[in-house]
Amino acid sequence: MAGGTTDPKRFQASKATLLMDAFMTHFIKVGGALVIVTVFGIFVFILSQIVPLFRGARVHEKTSVPTPPGDYAVMGADEWTELPFLLRGDGTFVFVDIAAGGAASEERPAPLGEKTVTAIGYRPQQGSVTFGTADGGFVVGKVKYTGDFSSGQRRVRHSFDWIPFQETALPGVPVTEIASGETDSAKLIATVQQSQEGQTHLSVSRVERKKSLIGSGQWKVANAYDLSAFLTAPPRKILVTSSADAVIALLENGDVEYFFLTSGGFELRQKFRPFGDVGDGRVASMDFLLGDVSLVFTSPQGNNRVFSLFPKPGETVRTFGQTKEFPPLSAGAAFFSQSLRNKSFLLGAGRRASLRHGTTEVIRWETDLPFDVRMAVLGGKYESMLFLDNRDRLHVYGLEDPHPETSLPGLFGRIWYEGATEPKYEWQSTGGSDEFEPKLSLVPLLVGTLKGTLYAMIFAVPIALLAALYTSQFLHPDYRGVIKPTMEIMASLPSVVLGFLAALWLAPLIETRVPSILAVSILLPAGAYFFGWLWSGLPVNLRRRVAPGCEFLAFLPLLVLLVWAGWTLGPVLEQWFFYVTDPVSGEKVADFRRWWPHATGTNFEQRNSLVVGFMMGFAVIPIIFTITEDALSNVPATLRSGSLALGASRWQTALHIVLPTASAGIFSALMIGLGRAVGETMIVVMATGNTPLTEWNIFSGMRTLSANIAVELPEAPHHGTLYRSLFLGAMVLFVLTFFVNTLAEILRQHLREKYKTV
Amino acid sequence: MSAPTDISPTTEPRSLAFKAGGMKRTAGEAMVWFSSMGLALGLLMVVGLLGVIVVNGFSVFWPQRIVELRLKEDSGARIRGSEYLAGEIRRVQTNTGSTIAEGGPTMERQLFIGNRDAYGLGFRFVKETDIQGETHPEDLLIIERMEYGDAIGRPLRLLAEDGRTILPGDPAFQSEMETTNRTVNRRRRAIDRIERVRIGNINLKMESLGFARKAAGEVNPAEIARIDAEKAALQADYEVLAKQARELRALQQTGKLFYRLPTGEEREMPMGQMVGFYFPNQLGLFKRMSLTLHNIWVFLVESPREANTEGGAFPAIFGTFVMTLLMSIAVTPFGVLAAIYLREYAKQGVFVRSVRIAVNNLAGVPSIVFGVFGLGFFVYFVGGTIDSLFFAQRLPTPTFGTGGILWVALTLALMTVPVVIVATEEAVASVPRGMREGSLACGASKWQTIQRIVLPAAVPGIITGLILAMARGAGEVAPLMLVGVVKLAPTLPLDATFPFFHLDRKFMHLGFHIYDLGFQSPDSEAAKPMVFATTLLLILLVVVLNLAAILLRERLRRKFASGAF
Repeated sequence: MAGGTTDPKRFQASKATLLMDAFMTHFIKVGGALVIVTVFGIFVFILSQIVPLFRGARVHEKTSVPTPPGDYAVMGADEWTELPFLLRGDGTFVFVDIAAGGAASEERPAPLGEKTVTAIGYRPQQGSVTFGTADGGFVVGKVKYTGDFSSGQRRVRHSFDWIPFQETALPGVPVTEIASGETDSAKLIATVQQSQEGQTHLSVSRVERKKSLIGSGQWKVANAYDLSAFLTAPPRKILVTSSADAVIALLENGDVEYFFLTSGGFELRQKFRPFGDVGDGRVASMDFLLGDVSLVFTSPQGNNRVFSLFPKPGETVRTFGQTKEFPPLSAGAAFFSQSLRNKSFLLGAGRRASLRHGTTEVIRWETDLPFDVRMAVLGGKYESMLFLDNRDRLHVYGLEDPHPETSLPGLFGRIWYEGATEPKYEWQSTGGSDEFEPKLSLVPLLVGTLKGTLYAMIFAVPIALLAALYTSQFLHPDYRGVIKPTMEIMASLPSVVLGFLAALWLAPLIETRVPSILAVSILLPAGAYFFGWLWSGLPVNLRRRVAPGCEFLAFLPLLVLLVWAGWTLGPVLEQWFFYVTDPVSGEKVADFRRWWPHATGTNFEQRNSLVVGFMMGFAVIPIIFTITEDALSNVPATLRSGSLALGASRWQTALHIVLPTASAGIFSALMIGLGRAVGETMIVVMATGNTPLTEWNIFSGMRTLSANIAVELPEAPHHGTLYRSLFLGAMVLFVLTFFVNTLAEILRQHLREKYKTV
Repeated sequence: MSAPTDISPTTEPRSLAFKAGGMKRTAGEAMVWFSSMGLALGLLMVVGLLGVIVVNGFSVFWPQRIVELRLKEDSGARIRGSEYLAGEIRRVQTNTGSTIAEGGPTMERQLFIGNRDAYGLGFRFVKETDIQGETHPEDLLIIERMEYGDAIGRPLRLLAEDGRTILPGDPAFQSEMETTNRTVNRRRRAIDRIERVRIGNINLKMESLGFARKAAGEVNPAEIARIDAEKAALQADYEVLAKQARELRALQQTGKLFYRLPTGEEREMPMGQMVGFYFPNQLGLFKRMSLTLHNIWVFLVESPREANTEGGAFPAIFGTFVMTLLMSIAVTPFGVLAAIYLREYAKQGVFVRSVRIAVNNLAGVPSIVFGVFGLGFFVYFVGGTIDSLFFAQRLPTPTFGTGGILWVALTLALMTVPVVIVATEEAVASVPRGMREGSLACGASKWQTIQRIVLPAAVPGIITGLILAMARGAGEVAPLMLVGVVKLAPTLPLDATFPFFHLDRKFMHLGFHIYDLGFQSPDSEAAKPMVFATTLLLILLVVVLNLAAILLRERLRRKFASGAF
């Protein structure tokens, strides 16, 4: 190339550079955006895990099959609802094979022989069927289902297990109503019999099986009881509990009588009117909920109430009392079926069918079906429903309701659990027995969270604010480079270490020294102020000895002295004030741990809120300190110079000029500290008893949302109700802290804008 | 913005003092002292807490003297009526539940008396009023054992492996003990190598042969025969190794030490049980220090024994290290990428500002929430999917569908990515504008400017963020409990077995070690020394990381004093 002329390409960037630049531009844009989206995906994922908790039941029709026409009294089904049975009034079973398009097979129990069946009782939980006959006897037995998987596919088969015919105490008198309940060794059969003279008898037979060395003997009537004397009206329906120790009779006039079997025979334990305040007070239906502790009533007008057994105030025995009231149906329930998995029940009249949850008082599903329902069965696995319509067609519905116990009221409301004396907020996710009902109210956990946070803040806020104020306004600049990192080190202490020290070092230390803590917390601030007051009154040349900004160093020995003094004073205080008189020896025992429950009626635990508050202080103080210190020292110097120049003292300047200016920043520091305390996990797990309490006693423990997750999530089955409830707890924590922090951040930004204009 | 230095508010206004004639108080001086209490208290708390940890942590390694107490006739502390009781004094405290009539609180001592096999409990409280006299006898011996913790007693005679009997009075006694101790320790390592490594390898091969056998089904007789032959060969190898181990174990029982407990009973133990021994009351300062160093070394490199309460914490240290490393590898590229995007490529406006606030706040979301997410998303969703795609033959035993080190690292990476993003953003923003403009003016493309000018200048800032993230990750426990930490892992996440790096394995972690020892251990009093030692180590790790980050940041601030910090 000739000298002088420039190659026009000289100023062009190379293709590779441009390509690389374009590629990186896209890569970073896409990648960066993706990272940020992923991070926020956490929120979406957790949300997706908790949504099912709030969904109602989803129901869809799967199939329908024709059934032989007949006058059916009872419908029952296997747990897969594949081979349901219809029971004719005359005692003939009709098994309907759904998969075979409704192929029906009839079978009459052998022990019935030629007898006339006049009453039928059925308990779906055990599959037990009871027949009452016209000649005053009964036949008890069971329908059993077994699933046969040998061919690779499930085939359901049924079998019977009958006990020979037995006579009631009134042979020859036809049975009009019959009910039974059974334990392993005894059955209780209650019968209503209508004599020809028009008299109504209520009698109960206790059938027992003698156990011998060779095996079990024959079932025989061991005892018979006549309860007719108690009746004020003819019974409409009778129920026997599964523990075979109580009979409940619903009378025509709307009264309900509750008989209990004691060693001396039956006693009338309670008589009540479920609908005494509605219309003429009559009752349309009465049925048990799973566990036989609650009764579901409907009135002819459609009112729907649940009564449960619980001890009334001042009583020791459990009697029925109303615990729930559901929205009314259009009429009294014509069909009813209890769930065998939870406290749900299916009931309705006419076309209307309603699936309700007996504990949370929530309607899981309610609709008008395209047919009139004669009978209904809620499948044993709570996954299906059967409806028999009035044109003899059997409809199979699929039911999808994995979390019936959790709905808004179940998770946040006050729930009246079975056996409890009043509605309560309660968290108890696992229990001993099969019939245990998980109690998943988040309220005790929220209260625990707030309690821990409150005590932590009470302890941390004064110390952090004073320290920040001193550091930013009065501290000699030479020390600042050491003080701030030292306080920041405090923030980095792993919470598991703090928790361990809280539980194994601090809790035993404090346990016996509560009066000392009390003494220190009074002595320290008072001593500090008093000393400051004395010092500032000293002559100037004496005061000069402590350079301004170094007071904290001079104060350190005094601090140690005050803490020591308070610590030793504690036991003395205890001897003076916190003693109880030992009931056995009559001696005075100075022990705060015994004095506190004695004086306040609340518990004293070793691992308590005081310990948690103190240790959580270590986590919270540095956060509040750092942010407050930043906010205070960023107050424009001109403001302070102005104030000082006008003759205000350094304290007056700090209090009246700097603090108000930085107030938004201080508030945001408190918010961020609060966020940290709310989410703290390990300290709380280790330093409290983890009991979900709803009280504010400083000497008892608590269970916080975060600790609850740490304790229970490892054991929670995947996608179960507990699992999702714990995810909900995590969501609450997420939203709470995110909200608080965002508020704080916005305030801080606002403050920054303000400083710019000053 | 550093504190203003143009006017010093810290000097007391002289004019006021002057006007007041030197005696009148300056308004609010008392309150200044009052607020100095806050700072002093805060400092005392930090120093006190660190002090408690350091003192308790170090005293675990420091061999203490043993005191022999003579107890009063009616003392409740007597063991089987014996007049003497010997042990290390662990604590002196006020006797709880004292009555006013007793004239206030009395003191009691907590004694570590060891010999759990003989006494049942390793600790005993002795009222000071019950003590008649105390001595520090030189002939008391502490034996560290494989089981039942330490034994404390007086040696009676040593039965060497070659059948000789040596009495404590013999000058060769000490050296003979040391020789035997070395021999049994070496033999124990040999047994361990055979049982854990070699037999472990055979087990692994057997397992994979089992899967191969299942895959071959019944259709491929040649393959089945080959597998069965291989299995038989492995079984033969196993028999040989097992026999070797058995023989070594029998040898461990030959040497015996006879000793007498402080309470009088005579006992014997096979030398194979002994890990180490020393005469605590004969030790000079130098010996004591070298023993301390030895104890620290053992703590750092050995595996735990006896439900983690004895031995070392090596697997936990190693697990913490590997996890933190994995987490850093995962968090750095993503954090830096997001930060560069936010600072350099995204259009600055309300949206990006709110994203920035949100990212910042994500750092304040409780760690347990990330753990919950990790369990639901990584373990169950991602892990479950991987299992059903690649490890179907092992189902229903999960491979990746359960907690593991990979999921822990990813969960913690997610938790700490906001820290890295914020730190990187700050660092990138503080690179002076002039440097960028200079680069662009020279004709460099945007990426070239970032790559050659901005990023190198921001590296210290990014490293600061990474160190902070590591410190947070290393000290975190709550989310780990949900996604893959265990109290005792039989294997390390990184070892000599193919594929060397086992991402699916559960692992041990220092923080969880503390939690587990302190709270799940059946004998929490016996576990206390180990917890304090582990705590000291974890604190050292975290504090060193944080100090490094803080110092680095301070240096940066000074370097870019005009920046936007």
